[in-house]
Amino acid sequence: MADGAGRGERGMRRVKGWLIDWVLVTLFLLMVDFLWLAFSGRRGPTGLLLSPEEILDLLHYLPLLAVSAALAGLWQAAAGILGESPGWALTRPLDEAPSPVLWTSTLRGWFVALLIELTVFTGWLVTEVQLVTFLTQFNKAADIVRGLVNPSSAVLHQGLILLVQTIFLAFMATAFAIPVAFVLSFFAARNLTRGSALARSLYNLVRAAMNFTRAVEPLVWALIFISWVGIGPFAGVLALWVHSVAALVKLYSEQIESIDHGPVEAIMATGASTLQVMRYGVVPQVIPPFLSFTIYRWDINVRMSTIIGFVGGGGIGYILKPRVDLGLWGEVGTLVLLIAATVWCMDILSAKIRERIV
Amino acid sequence: MNGAAAARDEVVRIEGLGKVFPNGVRALDAVDLSVRRGEFLVVIGLSGSGKSTLLRCINRLIDPSEGRIWLFGEEMTALQGAELRAMRTRVGMIFQQFNLVKRHSVLANVLSGALGRASLLPSLLLRFPEADRQVALAALERVGLGGRDASRADALSGGQQQRVAIARALLQEPELILADEPVASLDPALRHSVMRHIEALNREEGMTVICTLHDVDLIRRYATRLVALRDGKVVHEGDPEKFDGETFKAIYGEEAEPTPGLVG
Ligand SMILES: Nc1ncnc2c1ncn2[C@@H]1O[C@H](COP(=O)(O)OP(=O)(O)O)[C@@H](O)[C@H]1O
Ligand SMILES: [Mg+2]
Repeated sequence: MADGAGRGERGMRRVKGWLIDWVLVTLFLLMVDFLWLAFSGRRGPTGLLLSPEEILDLLHYLPLLAVSAALAGLWQAAAGILGESPGWALTRPLDEAPSPVLWTSTLRGWFVALLIELTVFTGWLVTEVQLVTFLTQFNKAADIVRGLVNPSSAVLHQGLILLVQTIFLAFMATAFAIPVAFVLSFFAARNLTRGSALARSLYNLVRAAMNFTRAVEPLVWALIFISWVGIGPFAGVLALWVHSVAALVKLYSEQIESIDHGPVEAIMATGASTLQVMRYGVVPQVIPPFLSFTIYRWDINVRMSTIIGFVGGGGIGYILKPRVDLGLWGEVGTLVLLIAATVWCMDILSAKIRERIV
Repeated sequence: MNGAAAARDEVVRIEGLGKVFPNGVRALDAVDLSVRRGEFLVVIGLSGSGKSTLLRCINRLIDPSEGRIWLFGEEMTALQGAELRAMRTRVGMIFQQFNLVKRHSVLANVLSGALGRASLLPSLLLRFPEADRQVALAALERVGLGGRDASRADALSGGQQQRVAIARALLQEPELILADEPVASLDPALRHSVMRHIEALNREEGMTVICTLHDVDLIRRYATRLVALRDGKVVHEGDPEKFDGETFKAIYGEEAEPTPGLVG
């Protein structure tokens, strides 16, 4: 029985290890392929050297996937000669000690070292790093710096007014997010949703919805809400609100999952109803961390609200974007300084509040 | 006639109780047990023998996998929802870790014993009827904590917290008390101070007590009857007066030695 379970686990580890090796060897070969094409001097249809995008298009994905699948299998099979594969090492059970061998004396060590170097080289080309331009062309950006040190007062009045809007935008998004996230987090906590099939499916539903919502960035949400309620601060409030709810539900529910279950049991034992058990057994334990998470989220929302206007979500970013496009650096400087001062003040404020309550 | 009188006298009846946890661990196996009104039943057994699981099955904090339980003549294992909660109000529970709401006041903790009969909305706002408040203050007085009602629960010492937990159970006006190692987390010198309060509920209020304990002297001093569990089965039932080295080995196995004071 125990032996069978042991064999099953070992089989699972083989499969997982092989999958990891497959992915790693594939990445390795693809990057070799990439660098080969990049330095082969091949020219594209336009007669110019291949661009990184064109190379990515030309890589031999399918053949390399097949080759690496075989290589990964080979590595597992010949582990006696080649040493542990990376996948086998990564799936090692936590209680098993790793072998005390220097990385330079294993194939795995060299493989990983080369993989990292290949990634840096490939990344350099894919992201089109141009060190020389970066180091020699600073004078073009000097205008911006000049603007920052000589801020223009032309936009100060309007900037200050929109700054008020920016802060309120962050505030409304945070304030509206708290009650919604509070309620949802109870449904997103595994330890409270084991009771019935309905509770379990609600858990999965809320989790999935929140994971999706959080994965979409606030700027994208802003674009969605702009087409819904039109350009302006309300779209920004909605965008930050939606994202804050999802982020807070994650933080809140993890906190609920880590509570001490003792008081919950004790309150249940008195014959209290579910709501009473939540109110007495759960809520008192999570209030301080919830406050701390909420302040943290408020910090993030202040930052986000200053740029949500770039896409039309209201706030100071709304007048910053056109001035960057027009190269009005003096006015840009004023606005950037206003933003920096606001974020700085709010940071200090929330750090002080957090000190008090936690 | 006699049978009916016996049935009225029977506070807990357990038949064929079994519990298998989702991870496959069998914690209880075919347990039969009957507890009469006014008994002070002590359950002993090694750690992991199923004592806590047994106590939690009785008030259904854990749902049994097999068997049936009757409380006060009603089938506990058949109750659901409001009926189950109503039955729980008649059973007070005391825990090894006290399980107070740490950030609430001592008084709020005691009052939470009245949640089962409180109206929902006020109770969610931590408001209770004046009558309950008076009962709570009296209960605190009774466990020797008069005047501490406004302290935060976690400001109290372990022994004091356990007495708050007893006052909380008192507020339920229970007929049965389940105490799961009530003094195991306390300094040995303080154990009697807590046990005496539980004994008083048993002697003076006629509450039936089911209690798990480890100390031989505590068992001899407080138990009126003894039940021993081993691997989820009842392996011994008897008189605590006759609890000696022989029965000890029968319960705990040949390797075990009765150290002075401690069992298991
Ligand atoms: N929630 C649970 N899930 C899985 N196994 C449990 C759980 N609670 C208790 N057990 C197991 O059931 C057995 C009995 O536990 P318990 O009733 O706590 O024993 P005792 O109180 O006598 O120390 C132990 O083996 C324990 O590990
Ligand atoms: Mg226990």
